[in-house]
Amino acid sequence: MRPLTIYAALFMAFIYGPVLLLVVFSLNDNTFATFPLKGFTLRHYVEMWSQAPMLAALGNSLRIGLGVTLLTTAIAIPAALALTRFRFPGKPAILGAMMLPLVIPSIVLAVSLLVIILKFLNIPLSLWTVAAGHVLICLPFCTSVLMSRMEGFDPSLEEASRDLGSPPWQTFRRVTLPLAMPGVISSLLLGFIISFDEFVIAFFLTGTDNTLPVYLYSQLRFPNRLPATLALGSLILVGSTLLVVIAEILRRRGVQSNNPGDL
Amino acid sequence: MNRLKFIDRMSQGRVSRREMMKAAAAFGVSATLLPRAGRAAEMLTCLEWGGYDDPAYFPAFMAKHGVQPNFSVFSGEEEALAKVLAGFAADIMHPCNYSVARFVTAGLTKPIDTARLSHWNDVFPVLKDAEGVVVNGDVVMAPADWGNASVAYRPDLVEKDFLDAPTWGILYDERYKGRVSTLDDALVIQIGLMVEGKSYDEVYNLHGDELRAAAETWGRKGLETARFLWTDATELQQAMASGEIVAAYAWNDVIGNLKEQGIPVAYAVPKEGFFTWFCGLSILNSGKADEAAAYDFVDAWLSPETGKLLIEGSGYGHANTKSFEIADAEAVAAMGLDDPIAMMANSTVFRTPDNAVQEDQNKVWEDLKATHF
Amino acid sequence: MSSATTNGVALRDPARRREAFAGFWLITPALVVMVSMLALPMVALVVLSFWTQDGFTLDTTFTLDNYRRLFATSERGVAWMGMTFYLEYPVPAILMIKSLVMSLTATVAVVLMAYPMAYFLAFRVKRNKAVWIILLTIPFWTSYLLRVFSWKVVLGFNGAINSGLISLGIIDKPLEFLLYNPAAVMITLSHAWVTFVVLPIYVSLEKIDRSMLEAAADLGDSRWRRFRRITLPLSMPGTIAAALMVFIPTVGDYVTPQLVGGTGGTMIGSLVQQLFTKQNDAPMGAAVSLVMMLVIALLVLLFLTLVGYWKMRARRQG
Repeated sequence: MRPLTIYAALFMAFIYGPVLLLVVFSLNDNTFATFPLKGFTLRHYVEMWSQAPMLAALGNSLRIGLGVTLLTTAIAIPAALALTRFRFPGKPAILGAMMLPLVIPSIVLAVSLLVIILKFLNIPLSLWTVAAGHVLICLPFCTSVLMSRMEGFDPSLEEASRDLGSPPWQTFRRVTLPLAMPGVISSLLLGFIISFDEFVIAFFLTGTDNTLPVYLYSQLRFPNRLPATLALGSLILVGSTLLVVIAEILRRRGVQSNNPGDL
Repeated sequence: MNRLKFIDRMSQGRVSRREMMKAAAAFGVSATLLPRAGRAAEMLTCLEWGGYDDPAYFPAFMAKHGVQPNFSVFSGEEEALAKVLAGFAADIMHPCNYSVARFVTAGLTKPIDTARLSHWNDVFPVLKDAEGVVVNGDVVMAPADWGNASVAYRPDLVEKDFLDAPTWGILYDERYKGRVSTLDDALVIQIGLMVEGKSYDEVYNLHGDELRAAAETWGRKGLETARFLWTDATELQQAMASGEIVAAYAWNDVIGNLKEQGIPVAYAVPKEGFFTWFCGLSILNSGKADEAAAYDFVDAWLSPETGKLLIEGSGYGHANTKSFEIADAEAVAAMGLDDPIAMMANSTVFRTPDNAVQEDQNKVWEDLKATHF
Repeated sequence: MSSATTNGVALRDPARRREAFAGFWLITPALVVMVSMLALPMVALVVLSFWTQDGFTLDTTFTLDNYRRLFATSERGVAWMGMTFYLEYPVPAILMIKSLVMSLTATVAVVLMAYPMAYFLAFRVKRNKAVWIILLTIPFWTSYLLRVFSWKVVLGFNGAINSGLISLGIIDKPLEFLLYNPAAVMITLSHAWVTFVVLPIYVSLEKIDRSMLEAAADLGDSRWRRFRRITLPLSMPGTIAAALMVFIPTVGDYVTPQLVGGTGGTMIGSLVQQLFTKQNDAPMGAAVSLVMMLVIALLVLLFLTLVGYWKMRARRQG
């Protein structure tokens, strides 16, 4: 085997190893995650299932994550296009400002957004306000990954399309977007995991609907609730892996394509 | 208390599949219906620890109002305080002895009229007039859950001299370097002074140069001895269960939780004394709901049934003396509370220094940690 | 398009004007988000840093006191890690340095770990790239807290590594240096951020024109030479951008160090958070935040200038 393949295997072991332990301990008959293992049980899953607020929080987080990443990517695509393909005055300043949400301490951002929302705009807090905050912090990540893709790829294809008389929108849809696809997928995934995992802004900007990280943090006070959260984490992990695998199988059955560069 | 029994049996694995499905259906209904119903403007909004947002903790409220209040869960009181200060309107907050005064000083609480609480007479007398329950002559927090703070240790892993004469000194003892853990709080400095021989009353209010001098000795010693400073009970109990640490500043829920897993653990009565902390419910003045509903909620929390659940479920004490009469005797014993009333009399109830002193203590502690590597 | 116009032509040129107009139009949605949500917090932060606070009351008289306190020197030095700080209030400076060192080390580690993986994805994986990418992110769909928790279980006293080594008979007492120290912070941070770096690097490797590499191979360039002369330079802007995506936010991160860093885990982010809450000194918190943001911005600019990032990009757009 080539060294790089071995490295890739080790890399996957590094990112999956610790989280697979979550699965192990979620099935272990012990409140605490310690070795040696005591025995198999599903009681933590039963307990998890009875915790309605936690499941509701999971639902909220999924919805916000999905909405946020779609919206952010939709905003970031034209922005990345502008920042890589167009020259206009003030570009460096705009680029710098776009990175600002990365530097501001999250508590500062969260509290000041809260004051603006409640005292100036007078909008009640909800999952919408959380989503708005998340769009702001996801934007630099999504824009950046899209810029990495769009920067310096051959403009001649777009030019050819334009020269053939295609309107700009069609050029974008037929040429630019497919070329940018790996960036778009990466952006969608990054946006989702950032929003899904964000705690501080979600805590301050939510009303009485809680997101999963907010809920999990608050559970830390009760050690005997830990196994249920491990069960939930494992379920997310296994569930999403299954989802990907099934989608892939379905896709292969449906397409039966042997197109190697399938991105 | 069907739900309670259900959870209880479930945790013992004695729930049939049909019951599970029924519960699942009930969850489905409550998850879709309750939050919708909760949208009404006059609905009670509670800032609450995640986990206490379970209707089992306020059955009387559920019986009277039929729907749950809205919950905004938090994991630290300071974040909750910042949120309310920024303009978030909530009716109820669940602070603790060390944080309630901050809400009062910030002008966010309403005095509680104890005559409107049917269970008030059954509250432990020590708690009724503890600093924090009463601030500037007003009752600002109805005490609900409480616990002790003492040294929890692994009898199999500590040395004999500690077993013979337990002391807080173990948290500063070089022999246990890297094997103990303490709370991430300026209390480390104060307890150090108590090891030196001072009384809690002498040190709780420490500030200024005296505090800074003590921080340099006891604070630093505590930092150097500790493996980590804990901020949540899960972190601590996990480390004790794995044997990572052998002794720690801990609440009494650690005893029940570890013993349940067959891990040897004991709760010391250090010669310097041990503490009682308490949390409770405060009524905030930013609330938009009917004040009567807020009182119903607070009163529901003080009921003995709630106390029974708290004692059996989480290993914390409850403010209502009657809770201990109806709670499972084994659960009470697991907390090390054979006689809660006598225990309460023997322990040191935490006191609340004024806001400026608290700020000073926080600052000194944070600055000390910053220069420690 | 940028390549069609020559450099240095002013906006008077209609083609340039059209381009600028189109560029503005495309970036407008992002700007609306930024301005509507970021402008006011920034202004508030600056204004706040010139105020003072006593208890819960803000004193809105303009003062430079917060900044003066941050930079005021003192005769008495405070020693930390072999350095002496002659400052009246040395805590922010110490924490700033500590945080920068932590963040920098983590960034370097993450980039070194991520690059080969991204290379593997771009050049070795021929099919199902999308599936690979998604598999890379799935571990991060479990909550951050749970991931930190699982690292504690891996590294802990009775954890996976120690139990494994003991049962193999390699050690007979658990190793204690695995957890609650800066190394544990590095491992946990690397794990948390590595996907954020793999994806952008992969994306910028993916677009490299394969025919260029083939041409170089035809000219007899060795694999290593092809990598050094074509692949690495072409992926550099993306790699740098990815590195900054890790460096900038981790300077302010304080949760990870607090959870696995042991007693020395206080960072500049924790100070800001404490000043805004427990210590009731939001104005000082604002001043510390602004100085921190400024320091990060200056460091980033310095770094980009040193590595010639602007030239790199200009060349790419050429």
